[in-house]
Amino acid sequence: MIPQAAAFLGAGIGMGLAAAGTGIGVGILAAKALEGIARQPEMAGNIRTSMILAIAFVEAIALYALVTCLILATKV
Amino acid sequence: MNILEHLYQHKVIPLELWGIDVSITNGVITMWVALVLVFLFFWLASRKPKLVPGPLQNLAEMFITFTRDEIGSQIEIETEKWLPFLVTLFAFILVNNLLGLIPGMGGSTTNINTTAALAFIVFAIVQAAGLYHLGLRGYLKKYIPEGIPFFIVIFMIPVEIVSQLARPFSLAVRLFANMFAGHAVMLLLISMIFIFHNYIIIPIPVLGDLAFLAFELFIAAIQAFVFTYLTAFYIATAVEEEH
Repeated sequence: MIPQAAAFLGAGIGMGLAAAGTGIGVGILAAKALEGIARQPEMAGNIRTSMILAIAFVEAIALYALVTCLILATKV
Repeated sequence: MNILEHLYQHKVIPLELWGIDVSITNGVITMWVALVLVFLFFWLASRKPKLVPGPLQNLAEMFITFTRDEIGSQIEIETEKWLPFLVTLFAFILVNNLLGLIPGMGGSTTNINTTAALAFIVFAIVQAAGLYHLGLRGYLKKYIPEGIPFFIVIFMIPVEIVSQLARPFSLAVRLFANMFAGHAVMLLLISMIFIFHNYIIIPIPVLGDLAFLAFELFIAAIQAFVFTYLTAFYIATAVEEEH
């Protein structure tokens, strides 16, 4: 397989796997946050802030993969 | 010749100093505009402070109390002294992110160099704060946890050093990737028009870009908040005494 084709394939598969992991992670996070809000509605603001913060961390990992895949797909 | 070249910054005034390329690019001009905006906002808001604040002063107070309560509260020692740095960092990154979304202005945080410079500043300040508050001995003691056998300590020291170095790296890449990915997705949606070679398809990319732009505004604010929150967290862990 010529290197260009392998790079495109790797970029696609890599980003797909990263998106799958991120989806699962954010889903678990949001579920736990919603559970917390349901148990104690007066802490809703605090829990929401912490949830958004944690989602930013999880998304950052997916975006590391995105940057790598963009480099693979456009530079090789 | 890749498609992402539309997203790079291009030079406006080429300059060169002793072989180093310091030309004025789109991103530099955006940073100057952000600088002027942030300075003017906070200066005008604090010129004649009244007990019952006018609108500008109220907005600045909301911003500063939000930063003090959510972000600065992590730092136990001398919280008020860190506040100017944290507020400036938050406001500067926020305005830079938002200005990058305006079509026509080159983004500054969509370039890894800007975010790496900001992360390096944070790294230098965190290490300097640790050294200043704990002294050299206390600062080095953080790399050696208590009560573990000696031959594991030899392993722990490189691990700790690498984890300290990974922090500014992740700060830089997180901010850069979030901003750049937003622009890249919008570019990819617009390129649908060129792939289909047909005018029928136009509503889909345009409406999709509009929705995604709204999401990008949210992400710009969130990423500025996360950068500042992590800065405060690193300062807090570097400055606290071992208990």
